[in-house]
Amino acid sequence: MATITKTEDRAAAPARPETALTYQPNVDICDGGAEVLIIADIPGARTDGIDVSFEDGVLSLHAQVPARDLPGRCVRQEYGVGDYRRSFRLGDDFDASQITADYRLGVLTIHVPRRAAVRPRKVEVRAG
Amino acid sequence: MSLIPFRTKRSTGMEGGALATLADFRNEMNRLFEGFFSRPTAFTPSWLEAGEPGQWMPAIDLSETDTQIRVRAELPGIDPKDVDVSVSGDRLVIAGEKKSCTEESGEGWSHCESHYGAFSRAIPLPESVDPAKVTARSDKGVLMVELTKSPSSTSRKVPVLCK
Repeated sequence: MATITKTEDRAAAPARPETALTYQPNVDICDGGAEVLIIADIPGARTDGIDVSFEDGVLSLHAQVPARDLPGRCVRQEYGVGDYRRSFRLGDDFDASQITADYRLGVLTIHVPRRAAVRPRKVEVRAG
Repeated sequence: MSLIPFRTKRSTGMEGGALATLADFRNEMNRLFEGFFSRPTAFTPSWLEAGEPGQWMPAIDLSETDTQIRVRAELPGIDPKDVDVSVSGDRLVIAGEKKSCTEESGEGWSHCESHYGAFSRAIPLPESVDPAKVTARSDKGVLMVELTKSPSSTSRKVPVLCK
């Protein structure tokens, strides 16, 4: 059975500097049959600082968020700034080589296609 | 606000394993409590924050200088065309709607953590602003509203005259 499960969020030590805090972004998972969409809210991330990687069956996303630049006196601060990091363990039904991702309006969408052999398909019924 | 003083992973030398997982847990707890104490809820007095009951409200940052007030709101996944920003007196209102992609595709969620639907948040400003001098721009899911304080509310130094 095809599965995507969340895993503990820790990979190897980061290769480049990151901010002190790391957050788990809110994620929606949408099953479209031929592919599964992983949709993560990561507002304010640097476009060139988003990494999506797949290794040993684990799909990982990491996004860097630059430090906030608010001049003057801070009156109210409700959200922290830090990098986003989250991982998912993929089942065998997915084709990791065809994973794609796009970032728009502060939302990272990762397309994880199923292998052709396990995709749901409609069977045509011929009239006799 | 942090529950526990923290240090960076690099400074503590954490590299994977249980310690790193513990650091993630601590970060999440910090963020949870930050939101609990700082964000408006259904119990927040209406004169302080206005929003419809049951609606989600975006997180904001608010800062001010002598002449300007800046409000930053997290609005991931929301098209700027679907956001209304209005100012009246000393109150800024950010309203809009976050549309679910399943509404267009007809696909179903397997797992959903985000907020969808209409939202409205009225933010009391520290001082009155000039409605004609308000700018708003959106970048990577973050809305930045810049407001200019009205001349009457701008602080000024009053000279003390001597007889």
